[in-house]
Amino acid sequence: MSSASVDARDETELGVAVLTHGPLNVEHIVASVADDGAGATAVFIGTTRNSFKGKVVTKLEYQAYSKLAIKTIADIIADAHASFTPLTPHTHAQSSQRLIRIAVHHRLGTVPVGEPSIVIAVSSPHRKESFVACEMVLEEVKKKVQIWKREYYEGEREDDAEWKANA
Amino acid sequence: MSANTEITVLYFAGASTATGLTSERVRLPSSDPLPLSSLSELLVSLHPNNGLEDILRTCQWSVEAEMVEDTEGVMLKGGEEVAVIPPVSGG
Repeated sequence: MSSASVDARDETELGVAVLTHGPLNVEHIVASVADDGAGATAVFIGTTRNSFKGKVVTKLEYQAYSKLAIKTIADIIADAHASFTPLTPHTHAQSSQRLIRIAVHHRLGTVPVGEPSIVIAVSSPHRKESFVACEMVLEEVKKKVQIWKREYYEGEREDDAEWKANA
Repeated sequence: MSANTEITVLYFAGASTATGLTSERVRLPSSDPLPLSSLSELLVSLHPNNGLEDILRTCQWSVEAEMVEDTEGVMLKGGEEVAVIPPVSGG
């Protein structure tokens, strides 16, 4: 157990980033991006799979450098908003805003097979932006955020469990 | 010796498995600042023969919870929190 891998939270008007050892509550996360101006909410739920290259996965474990990971997620949320904001000066948020809120929750510690390890929710006035932003945020999280996954396989020693890499 | 000549090194994922540690205090070799680019060699000397050298070659560094782009440009004076950042696998 790394003492650097702890629960963390960063919330701004753009959204929220959460790292938690507890189960992810999809309904609660979706509700956290709700807004009367939102005509669309896109949600991605990543769940732990039971197999890898023919091997049976018995459990997965996530570790984070939470202090840094939470900043990286907050930057990804801010960048997503910026990439959907028109580059005209003096725009008023309400009239030009193309994303409303983004929530990124990632689970840490042991995650049983079949349970969500990541939930992303994005709200926007129209559907296109939330779909596109949701995928963009997911890909950036997988590429950049300082979180590591270890897979444990049936019939293998725990010490041999493999640390994965997304690249 | 003052504690200021030590840094804290955090290990994650494969780097943690190889060293058997999640963190350790590492004394800098002299009172001169140590270039971050030389830290790899120092850590391998503390943990020989366990594959750490190969693992570190795939890793990036963070200092004081900021990712480092250019390891040549960062000098460790003591007191810093340095983390070995293996290729990430969140999601």
